Amino acid sequence: MYSDLLNALPEVLSLANFAAVIIGVIAGIVVGAMPGLSATMAISVLVPFTFGLEPLVALGLMAGIYNGAMYGGAIPAVLLRIPGTPAAVATTFDGYPMAQKGEGGFALQVAVVSSSIGGIASAFALMLLAPPLSQVTLLFGPSEVFWVAIFGLASIIFLLGGSPVKGLISACFGVFVSVIGADPIFGTDRYTFGQLEMLDGISIVILLVGLYALPPVIDLLETPLKTETDANKLGTEPIWRTLPRMGRFWKTWIRGSLIGIWIGILPGAGGSMAAFMSYNEARRASKTPETWGNGEPEGVAAAEVANNADTASALIPALTLGIPGTAVAAVMLGGLMIHGLQPGPMLFRENPDVVFGFMWQFLFGAILLVFLGGSLATNSFARLLNLPRPLLGSVIIVLMLIGVYSIHGRMFDVYLMLGFGAIGYVMDKLKFPLPPVVLGLILGAFAEENLRLALRIGRGDWTILFQNVTSLVIVALTIAVIVGPLIKRRYVNKRLKAELGSKTGMEE
Amino acid sequence: MSKPQNNRLLRPETLTAVGITAISAALLVPTFGMRAMSALLPAAMLIGLIGLSILLLLSDQRKAAANEEAKPMTQAPKRVAGAFLLVVAYALATDFVGFYASTVISIPLVAWVFGFRHPLGLAAATLVVVGSIWLIFDFGMSQEFPSGRLWEK
Amino acid sequence: MLKLIQKTALVGAIILSAGAALADYPEKPIQIIVGFDAGGGTDVMARTAAPFIEKYLGEGASLVVKNVPGASGQIGITETAGADPDGYTIGTFNLPGMMARTIDRKSAYDVDSFTYLANVVNDPNVIVTSKRGDLDTLEKLIAEATANPGAVTVGMSSLGGDDHFMLIKLQQLTGAEFTIVPFSGSAPARTALMGGHVAMGILNISEVAEFQEELNILGVAQAERSPFAPDLPTFKEQGLDLLNGSMRGFVAPAGLPADIEAKLLDAFGQLAGDEEFQAAMAATANPVEVVTGAEFKALTASLYDLAKGVWETTPWN
Repeated sequence: MYSDLLNALPEVLSLANFAAVIIGVIAGIVVGAMPGLSATMAISVLVPFTFGLEPLVALGLMAGIYNGAMYGGAIPAVLLRIPGTPAAVATTFDGYPMAQKGEGGFALQVAVVSSSIGGIASAFALMLLAPPLSQVTLLFGPSEVFWVAIFGLASIIFLLGGSPVKGLISACFGVFVSVIGADPIFGTDRYTFGQLEMLDGISIVILLVGLYALPPVIDLLETPLKTETDANKLGTEPIWRTLPRMGRFWKTWIRGSLIGIWIGILPGAGGSMAAFMSYNEARRASKTPETWGNGEPEGVAAAEVANNADTASALIPALTLGIPGTAVAAVMLGGLMIHGLQPGPMLFRENPDVVFGFMWQFLFGAILLVFLGGSLATNSFARLLNLPRPLLGSVIIVLMLIGVYSIHGRMFDVYLMLGFGAIGYVMDKLKFPLPPVVLGLILGAFAEENLRLALRIGRGDWTILFQNVTSLVIVALTIAVIVGPLIKRRYVNKRLKAELGSKTGMEE
Repeated sequence: MSKPQNNRLLRPETLTAVGITAISAALLVPTFGMRAMSALLPAAMLIGLIGLSILLLLSDQRKAAANEEAKPMTQAPKRVAGAFLLVVAYALATDFVGFYASTVISIPLVAWVFGFRHPLGLAAATLVVVGSIWLIFDFGMSQEFPSGRLWEK
Repeated sequence: MLKLIQKTALVGAIILSAGAALADYPEKPIQIIVGFDAGGGTDVMARTAAPFIEKYLGEGASLVVKNVPGASGQIGITETAGADPDGYTIGTFNLPGMMARTIDRKSAYDVDSFTYLANVVNDPNVIVTSKRGDLDTLEKLIAEATANPGAVTVGMSSLGGDDHFMLIKLQQLTGAEFTIVPFSGSAPARTALMGGHVAMGILNISEVAEFQEELNILGVAQAERSPFAPDLPTFKEQGLDLLNGSMRGFVAPAGLPADIEAKLLDAFGQLAGDEEFQAAMAATANPVEVVTGAEFKALTASLYDLAKGVWETTPWN
C-alpha cells in the first residue's frame, strides 16, 4: 500500500496537477475570506464544471479550495468578526479582540501557521492511516454517534457567554431550527409550511451567513463614515520574526490536530465542532484561562489547527465507506463520483493513482497554505477589508446573495437567509450569544436521528444506549470533560467563598 | 442621546421575551398532530424557549423595577431600518428584475445612501465587483444567476 | 382544476406544434433538469447520457444539465412537469420514489403529467447481511426472521423507497417479519451493517459492488444475473420470486408535439444498443436497462399501483 503512495507522487507533481492545487488554495483563501461565500458553495459550483477535467486536476482544485477556505475563513473572522466559513466561528472568540488590540496581523499569522499544521497532520492521517481509522468509524453505530452528539451539545455550556438564560435560549433556538424539514425516520414534514425547499432542513451556510454576516453589515452601514481603520493597526511583522513566538503553542497544536482528526472520521459533526472542542480543551488546559476571549493568540491557534485538521480526515469515512464527515466532504464526494470514482475499499485497489494522488494534493495544499496564505492574506485582504465602510457593506451584501443563492441555485434560500439576518441582528444587539445556535443546529437533529435509530435497533428499549463499551466510554468522557469542571468550579467557588467571605460574585 | 425608556413594557428584552413566548406557543400547536417521537424534540425545545423567555422577562422587569435603564437597540434606528429595507429590496430586485441589473444599481446606491459619495470610487468598485463576478461565475464556470421573473414568459 | 390546466396546456401545445416548423428540432440547447446535486447517481447518469443523446439527435444538438436539488428530487421533477412541452426541457425521473411521493405527500404532478422517454438505469435490490453475524445464507435469515418476528434489524435508506418496497415484498412472500431501521441514505446503512449495528440490509447492487468482501450478499432481485456482478445469485435461482429495484430515466412534460416526441424516443432508444454508452455507464456503476415510451409509462403505472397498495395496507408515515 505504501508503495502505491509513492507511485502516485510523480503524477501529482506534473505541471497541470500541481498548478491545480496552487490555484485551488488561492481560490479557497479568497472564497473563505469573502464573508458570505463558503467552501461548500465554492465546491458545489465547481463540481459540475469539473466533469470535463482530468480527475487529478479536478481533485487538486477541490483539495486546494478546501484547505484554503478553512484558513481563509479566519480572515474576516479576525478582522470583522464575521466567520468566513462555519468552522471559523471559534476563531472570532480571540481573533477579533486581537485585531481590536492592534494585533490583527499576528492573529492572522497564528491562524495560517496553525491551519497549515492542522492540515499537514490531517493529510498524514489520511495517507498513512485511512484503512485502520475507517475501522474506528465502524465502531460507531447509532447509539455511539448519539453520545458523541450529546458530548458536543454539552459543550455548549462553555459557550453560553455572560447570561446563561440567553445562552440557553440561543441553544434551544438552534436545536429547534435543526428540527425543520423531513422527520428523519418517517419522512413526514416538520415545520416546512408546505415548502419543498425546506424539506431537506436548513443549511448551516444559510443560517451562518444570515446570523453572522448580516448584523455586522448593518453595523457597517449604521455607524456613519470615518471611524477606525483596522488595517493601519494590523501590526504586521514578517512571519519569520513572529514564528518563534508561536513555539509555545505546540501542545495546543498537537491536541487540536488530534481532536480535528478524530472529529473528522466521525460522520456528520464536522469542522465547527472540532474547532469548538479544541478551543474548550485548550482553554481548560491553559494556566491563564482568564485571558481567553480577550485576545489570547493560543485561542486562535486552537480553533484554526482543529478546523484544518478535520479536512483530510473527513475524507477517510468518505473514501472508504461513502459517508462524508463534513458538508464540504459530502460535496467533494460528488466530485469523486462524477469522475467514476466509487467510494469503498476497492477504490484504493482500483484507482490507486488517483486516490493516493488526491491525498498528496491534500498534503501539498496544506503546506502551500503557509506560503500563499502568509503573503497573500495578511497584506491584500486586510487592505480590501479596509475599503470605505458603506462600500464594504454594499459589496458584502452582494457576496452574501451569490454565496447563498449558488448552493442550491434558488432565491428561496436568500430570503431565508435575510430572515435569519433579522433574527441575528436582534440577538446581536441584545447580546444573545451566537455560537450555541450554530452548535445546536449542527448537532440537534443529528443527535435526534441517531437516538431514534438506536431505539429502533433496540426495538424501543432505552437500555440499548448503554449496552456497549464504546458508548460507556463516551458517556464517561462527557461527564469528565463537561460536568467535571462545573462541579470543580462550584466546589472551588464555595471554598473561596468560605475563605474570602464577600469577595466572590466576580466571575462571569 | 436617546430618551430613557419610560414604558417598562416596551424595553427591548421584555418585548423579545414576549415575542419568543408567543411564537413558541404558536409553533407548539403543530406538535399535537405529530407522532410522539417526532414531536418530542421540537416540543421540548419550544417549551424550553417559553420557560427561558419567562425567566428573561422576569429578570428584565426586575431591572425595570430597580429603575435600571434599558440600553437602546441602536443609536440610529432610521439608518438600521433603511439598511434592512435596501437589502430586502435588493434581494427582491434580483429575483424579479435580474441579478446583474440589480447589482449594478445596488452597489453604488447603498454605498451612496450611507455616505460614500465619491463618483469615481463608486464606479470603479461596481465595475470591479460585477466584472469579477461575471468573469468567475458566469464566464468561467457557467453558473447562472436569476435573470428576473418579470422577463420570463 | 388540474385537469383543466393540463387540457389547456395540451391544446396550446398542439396549436404551437402546428405552427412551428419542427423539421429542425432542436434549434436551441435542451435543458435536462436533474433533481439532485451534481455528482449523485442520477446526475452522473444524465451527464453520461447527454453526449450520446446529442449524437443521436443529430447535428448541432446540445444538452445542458441543470441541477435543481432538494426534497429527494421533488423540486426538480415538479419543475419538469410544469415546463413548456416544447421539447426543450426534459428531466430525470426516479422510480419508485417519484410515484411514491404522489401518494405520501401532496404533489403537483401525477402519472399523466409526463411524456415518457426512456428508463435507462435499473439498479436491482440486494439483500446483504453483516459479516459480524451468522445469518450468512438466505435460508438462515428467513428462518430467524420467521422464528423470532422482528428480531432481525434491517438497515436501509428512507421509508417509501425501493428498499422499503423490496422488504414489503419479501415479507409478503415469506411471512417473515423484520424491524426496519431507516437511515438517511444507503451509505450510512451500509456502514452500520459493516459495523454489525444492524443484522441485515437492503441496498442496490451498485452500492455493494465495491464492498463484496465486507458483506454477505445473499441475492439479487433481478430476473437474470447482473452483468455487473455475475457471481451473485438471483433470488429466483434460490426459489424466491423477488424482483425489485431502483430505476432512473428521462421524461418530458406531457403534451409534447408528436414529431418531437418521436425524435426524442428514437434518440433515447438507440442508447440500448450503444456499447460505448454501456461501457461509460458501467464505469460509473450504473446498470443499464433501457425501456422506452409506452412500456416505460406502463412500468411507472405498475410501480404506482404497487406503492399505492403498500400505502393502503401499511402506510409508512
